[in-house]
Amino acid sequence: MTTTIDATTAPEDAAAPLPAAPTPPAKKRKLKWPGFGIVFAVGFLGSLTFLAIFADYLSFIPYPDAKIPGPDGRPGRYEWGPGTAAWFGTDGVSGDVFSKVIYGARTSLQVGIFATVFGILVGGFLGVIAGYFRGWVDRIVMIITDCLLALPALLLAIILVDRLSDLAEDASWLGWLSRKWTIVITLGILATAPLARIVRAQTLSLREREFVLAARSLGAKPGRVMFREILPNLIPAILTVGFTGLSILIAAEGALAFLGLGVEVGTPTWGKLIDENRNKIDEAWWATIFPCLMLFLTVLSFNIIGDRLSRRFDIRQAGV
Amino acid sequence: MRYALQKIGQFAIVFFIVTFTVMILMRLGLNAPGDPARTLLGGTADQELIDATTEKYRLDSNPFVQYVFWMTNMVQGDMGFSVPNSQPVFDYIQGRILTTLLLGFYAIFWGLVIAVPLAVRQAHKRDSWFDKFGSGAAFAFVSAPAIVLAPILTILLIKENTIGMPPPFGDFQVTIGGWFPRIGDKVYPWQDLGEHFRNFFVPTLVLTLPIAAIFSRLLRGDMVMTLQADFVTLASAKGVSPRRVLWVHALRNSLFSLLTSVGLQIGGIVGGAIVAEQFFDLDGMGSMLVTAILQKDLFTVQSASAILVGSVVIVNLTVDLMYGVLDPRIRHARAIA
Amino acid sequence: MSDLIQASSRDIDGPLLVLKDVTTHFKTPRGLVRAVDGVSFTLDRGKALGIVGESGSGKTILSRSIMGLLPPRGTVRGGSITFEGREIGNLGRKEMRSVWGKEMAMIFQDPMTSLNPVMKIGRQIAEPLQIHLGMTKQNAWATAERLLQDVRIPEAKRRLEQYPHEMSGGMRQRVMIAIALACGPTALFADEPTTALDVTVQAQILDLLGEQRRDRNMSLVLVTHDLGVVAGHTDEIAVMYGGKLVEKATTKGLFANMKMPYTEALLNSIPRLEDRSHTRLSAIAGRPPDLVNPPKGCRFAPRCPYAQPKCQNEEPPLVPTAEDPNHLYACWYPVGSPENTEIKVRIAASKSEFAAAAGGN
Repeated sequence: MTTTIDATTAPEDAAAPLPAAPTPPAKKRKLKWPGFGIVFAVGFLGSLTFLAIFADYLSFIPYPDAKIPGPDGRPGRYEWGPGTAAWFGTDGVSGDVFSKVIYGARTSLQVGIFATVFGILVGGFLGVIAGYFRGWVDRIVMIITDCLLALPALLLAIILVDRLSDLAEDASWLGWLSRKWTIVITLGILATAPLARIVRAQTLSLREREFVLAARSLGAKPGRVMFREILPNLIPAILTVGFTGLSILIAAEGALAFLGLGVEVGTPTWGKLIDENRNKIDEAWWATIFPCLMLFLTVLSFNIIGDRLSRRFDIRQAGV
Repeated sequence: MRYALQKIGQFAIVFFIVTFTVMILMRLGLNAPGDPARTLLGGTADQELIDATTEKYRLDSNPFVQYVFWMTNMVQGDMGFSVPNSQPVFDYIQGRILTTLLLGFYAIFWGLVIAVPLAVRQAHKRDSWFDKFGSGAAFAFVSAPAIVLAPILTILLIKENTIGMPPPFGDFQVTIGGWFPRIGDKVYPWQDLGEHFRNFFVPTLVLTLPIAAIFSRLLRGDMVMTLQADFVTLASAKGVSPRRVLWVHALRNSLFSLLTSVGLQIGGIVGGAIVAEQFFDLDGMGSMLVTAILQKDLFTVQSASAILVGSVVIVNLTVDLMYGVLDPRIRHARAIA
Repeated sequence: MSDLIQASSRDIDGPLLVLKDVTTHFKTPRGLVRAVDGVSFTLDRGKALGIVGESGSGKTILSRSIMGLLPPRGTVRGGSITFEGREIGNLGRKEMRSVWGKEMAMIFQDPMTSLNPVMKIGRQIAEPLQIHLGMTKQNAWATAERLLQDVRIPEAKRRLEQYPHEMSGGMRQRVMIAIALACGPTALFADEPTTALDVTVQAQILDLLGEQRRDRNMSLVLVTHDLGVVAGHTDEIAVMYGGKLVEKATTKGLFANMKMPYTEALLNSIPRLEDRSHTRLSAIAGRPPDLVNPPKGCRFAPRCPYAQPKCQNEEPPLVPTAEDPNHLYACWYPVGSPENTEIKVRIAASKSEFAAAAGGN
């Protein structure tokens, strides 16, 4: 089910003549790991992104605040299970769960991607200068990452989101800082430490490689060496960790929303949906389980891609 | 020895920075005199009380003085007063900490109990269906955060599911699930072991499955590498039984990533515990912290996070020193350094 | 249990090890790799056999195949291996366990990676003693100390408490030998035991092996790429090329009268003391054959300086020489035969012609 065709079975499989009915073996072959996992991950994320972006224009996705009338023609609580009236059923306020899940994907993907970019920029910068200059710069960066890792991530996130939103309310110069951007910055800070560590480790080994030494001995300035020689070689590692990190951040966003620290009221997110509907899980499992599944499949897909990349680029520490 | 002292110093610095930052963060925006005390006391306190509180906890002095004052008191067992809960922070934490401690311990303990045999067997029978299934399952559970596992396990284990044909077609019905209470009660093992198990089982599972998955992936990877080493072949060539080759010769040489990960996972476990405690209404430090942060219960947040950071730091220190125990080469290198 | 079977079927008088048409193939995505392809020989008790060939000739695979140490998955073994009168070629790892360490032991090439880094030397030597001979821990450690003395390690008692990383490469190889000797095996396989060591240490290790072999009346199979190593330390030599045995003779007989051009080339590739300094080392041109699609005729033909059309098309059988029925070789135009001499003359002539032509221009 998982790994590649192994050495023992490959020749036999290859030598076996194709049976007359091509369907069963073709299916069997497709289920092998390299194809299936990655195809699933890319396909799932692709369609989810597409639906999330174009949700407003697609007629089969109602607006998340639309009320779906129940069997008696009036909106009620959890009246439809999964079915034709509402694909994933309806929730406690007669909302369409499918639509909320898709709009929730919008939030999760946006927050996750922006936070990862933030983490890559800050963490990447810290990692490169730490690995390149070493000495006291390195020591300071390492202390920063140690500190970020010493406080449990979700705890740090709760404190930061709560404090930053309070600040944004009080201070007028922080007016642009909506709840969403608060979460992006918070999660970005969380992503910084592991990224900085891996980039540092890679930079440390890269700076001793011949082509970097050659550039330095030709008198290239540190900035040039870092940008032109080292940075391009860091891209595989950053990409790999980025995808794995994305999965962790999306899960973290879900946890935050679940704890009541999600984006603005009125915007559906997966975590919020789980929190709102979990008490009715006995009567209306669909309102909790579908957001759960979405979150799981999204995290899984990003992990699959991250795992693929780490094998492809042979980066072992990426599984942080 | 010098190495150990150096490490302790390093971790002490980290501990100071983090706890100090939490203190500063919690007071961010409380700039006007009396603000911290007012926040601490809640909305309707009179000026006299505010002044008295400010005086008592030195809330108007500079942050370092406040920090030292708070830390000194904390070490002596005085962590301040939690107004929203009308009790000293020390008592508040004392009532909660055991739940989280137990959850965390169970998570790591069962994580290892599940992961180690699984990973060893997977590495031994590499690429077998067992290995493939194990790897696939581990991969899935790595991707299942507490917030996903909790509802799913609720459906499977807590909710009573009646499986059977609807009446017109058949007449059999099987009820599965409903074995565990929906809301966790704080029952400690020494009070009633059976009840304790019933109440802690699902929350523990929520924490332990992803941990076990991470552990087994790491250990399997390292183990596969070790099993290709010459000394493993030599052990076989000596006539050592395969079981002994795996568990004695190969395992100890493969434990390093796993050990490092135990240290790194503490933070993740606390995060998972926050969600699990909230989901199952289990009164622990996690749910306490969430409430305290939202209530701006300054001393509770400061003290509880200091305890958590302290434990993370101590676990990581232990892990670091364990390397030497595990590998004589590291011991050797550290002895000369 | 297995001891009983062994005891009853043990054949004291016959040869220790008999190989008949042994094959070892690996299944790979590219196809079947014929790493060992029909090797037969006999090894008597107390004798030393050298298996010589360059890397990829199948010599290491052969020795591991005899011991049954290859990973079972993807490996296809054929032919018959008789050890002390008992067929072991078809035994699984489970059955081999009572043989490993006790009847047959192995020394690996790289002492740096072959000892468990996190286990004390004493424990590593004591382990087979406790397993096979049922010794108590104390007895085993006492024996281990004696073994360390046997392999000339000073301060044996202190060394027992050390870890591998506290020892030099030569020391570690001595420890490996001590481990191999621990249970008094009747056959010892040494796979390039000196390749990873300094030249000065190499001679010491080889002498030690020879000495222990005589003392313990043990058979030794010395696998190496270096004819110089086997020259002084073996009774017989088997030369392997491309998974096949191409020449086998007593050590004396081989050096006196080598038949295979490949053996000759191997010998020529060893630098000699009497050569002038800066003499060019004569390497064997070309690469070892592809063992998935081996050449049709003689496997050495593509690299053989004397190769004729016949060599490309027909595989030479392993035949005895006229003088010595125990000297086997597989070549159509063996070194020293009139045909070979004729070819040599032709080559020399064309070379000088070429040189003249080149000089003329």
